[in-house]
Amino acid sequence: MTTKFDLNDDSLVVIVGSGAGGGTLANELAQKGIKSVVLEAGKRFKMEDIENDEWKMFGKISWLDKRYVEGPARLAKDFPNLPAWIVKGVGGATMHWAGVAMRFQEHEFRMRSENGVIPGANVLDWPVTLKELEPYYYKAEQKMGVCGTEATGMPFHGQSSHYKVVAEGARRIGAKCEQATLAINTEVRDGRPSCQVNGFCMQGCRIGAKWSTMYTEIPKAEATGNVEVRPQSMALRIEHDKNGKVTGVLYADKDGNHLFQKARLVAVAANSIESPRLLLNSASSMFPDGLANGSGQVGQNYMTHTTAGVYGEFEKPVHMYKSTVVPGIVHEWKDNDPSRGHYAGYELEILHLGLPFMSAFLNPGRSGWGRELADSLENYDKMAGFWVCGEDMPVESNNITLHPTEKDQYGLPVPVVYKTDHINDTRMRNHAYDKATELLEAVGARKVNYLPPYPASHNMGTNRMSAHARDGVVNKWGQSHEIKNLFVSDGSQFTTSGTENPTLTIVALAIRQADYIADQMKRNAI
Amino acid sequence: MKNRKRDDQSPDLTRRRFLTHSGTAVVGLGMLSSGLLSARTWAAAAVGEHASATLMRMARDIYPHDTLDDKYYAAVLTPLAEKANSDAELKKLLSDGVRELDSRCDKLFARTYLELESEPDRVLVLRAMEDGAFFQRIKGDLMMGIYNNPELWPRFGYGGSAWEKGGYINRGYDKIDWL
Repeated sequence: MTTKFDLNDDSLVVIVGSGAGGGTLANELAQKGIKSVVLEAGKRFKMEDIENDEWKMFGKISWLDKRYVEGPARLAKDFPNLPAWIVKGVGGATMHWAGVAMRFQEHEFRMRSENGVIPGANVLDWPVTLKELEPYYYKAEQKMGVCGTEATGMPFHGQSSHYKVVAEGARRIGAKCEQATLAINTEVRDGRPSCQVNGFCMQGCRIGAKWSTMYTEIPKAEATGNVEVRPQSMALRIEHDKNGKVTGVLYADKDGNHLFQKARLVAVAANSIESPRLLLNSASSMFPDGLANGSGQVGQNYMTHTTAGVYGEFEKPVHMYKSTVVPGIVHEWKDNDPSRGHYAGYELEILHLGLPFMSAFLNPGRSGWGRELADSLENYDKMAGFWVCGEDMPVESNNITLHPTEKDQYGLPVPVVYKTDHINDTRMRNHAYDKATELLEAVGARKVNYLPPYPASHNMGTNRMSAHARDGVVNKWGQSHEIKNLFVSDGSQFTTSGTENPTLTIVALAIRQADYIADQMKRNAI
Repeated sequence: MKNRKRDDQSPDLTRRRFLTHSGTAVVGLGMLSSGLLSARTWAAAAVGEHASATLMRMARDIYPHDTLDDKYYAAVLTPLAEKANSDAELKKLLSDGVRELDSRCDKLFARTYLELESEPDRVLVLRAMEDGAFFQRIKGDLMMGIYNNPELWPRFGYGGSAWEKGGYINRGYDKIDWL
């Protein structure tokens, strides 16, 4: 679209990032007549750019700028420069996500009250309840087109062969298994087609059946004339005035020119590594530790979900790739039941990888070779299995910091990501390995493979919400405790990770935040 | 120096050694006679007969699929060797790597890598080298060349790109007959 805003227009909202949080916020504000500029670091891709090819799409859309992973976890050895598996492009990680859209459970908003102090973890209750979020979850499900929900009335996808194998195993051990509520059309809806089961949800949906802001929120926002998206625009720092209010964002355009876009309000939605990084890079004499960081919590409590992979090899073919990537979920252990030996819950998400990625992740890193691995890959078509997705304990020392000397292509300090397990994470993962094995063996698995965590697509917690300014970065609206016209609109505002995939909650929070911002602007409070 | 001497050995001897140590001698012969890619084709290019035979054995030890033709491994090694012709650093990486491999085998077993008949013995030596740049280069290229090779996907039972065929909605996504 052709809307162009002036760099000196200080009536605008400037949104950094165009994914689930930023893209949704831009469209919600645009529908209310509020004008915004969206700064997106990545390119604008076309549908024709999307291919059913794992490595090609990895190379094309991933965020591959220099980063360091540190800590004793195996991830740091296997993927020393790739902590997160997210996207650099208009649409952000909504291009890559598998479409799994589940609401948080009621207790997951108050894990501190639920369990008390957990030593070594920095657990806090959310300043929001499920009850408050329910209407927004409903709106998010409608917006995104989540199948299997009351909000859309769309049916589930139907049981794929991969689903059927797992569902039978679950039945035999008495575990609850259901088809996944996916933001993937099972009917023509909202101008997008019904899923044809290509099996490449995470490479970007080639036909647009899966919700992505790339071809939903962003073009809808642009169609109002209220939004200008500037791709290949990397935010460098947020400036503020002498009263401590933010005034705009300095960014580098595709030619490396530094431009300053004035703003009435800035919303940061650049995912949980870049968002705190931007706040830290915006340190000034007034805010020496970075913007919104009076509590010292910016960049801290980095969570990724407690993850792992478990794949069984069967006697006969499963052809798991002939399926939506996540056809179903085993929900049996999603509750908070410390009698299992760990706090919080996890889901076993039925999930396939193609052969190229299976060869890279079955035994990732330098030692992944040899006859055992090759024998398992010979059985690729006979595999079925899971990606484990469990609640991750917030730990203050799991964090994003700035490299003291090394700079990236924009001249910004390279982010350093420190992440390792809390003992609860380890216990939960081991429990999940055991239960997944029991389930897969119950339906005939002859060998079960255990995959360690790979680079995280769920990144959360580094600008967390808190009731009190001393405990976190933003309030219940995602508004900075310290700076009234500075907002955080992505998963970095999560107080705890929950068990569920984060996107639906990010979208629900963004819809709610847009209402709040509109109200506050009308009242001239910001 | 030991290695250089081996490079000078007659092609017949090297070929015999290559075939002896290859798990697919018969297939290898067939390919040689049919003029398809073979270890010798790419070997002649840059790294010499001994190194090329060693790399082929190493490739088959890294991702051992006993019924998979040599040509698929050679298809990974050939461009690597060709690149080494114009890339001195890569050439050094490969020749130094093979030399180190043989020297480690010599220390442990008083044999070259190609002379080690037991796979566990060869794997033992490779494991000790797996963190190095030489091993990781070969492994990385092989992983892409074998498991990311669309020509091999049907063999492994993987479908590859599906959108242009209408996905699997009408092509058996729900079919399974053994539950």
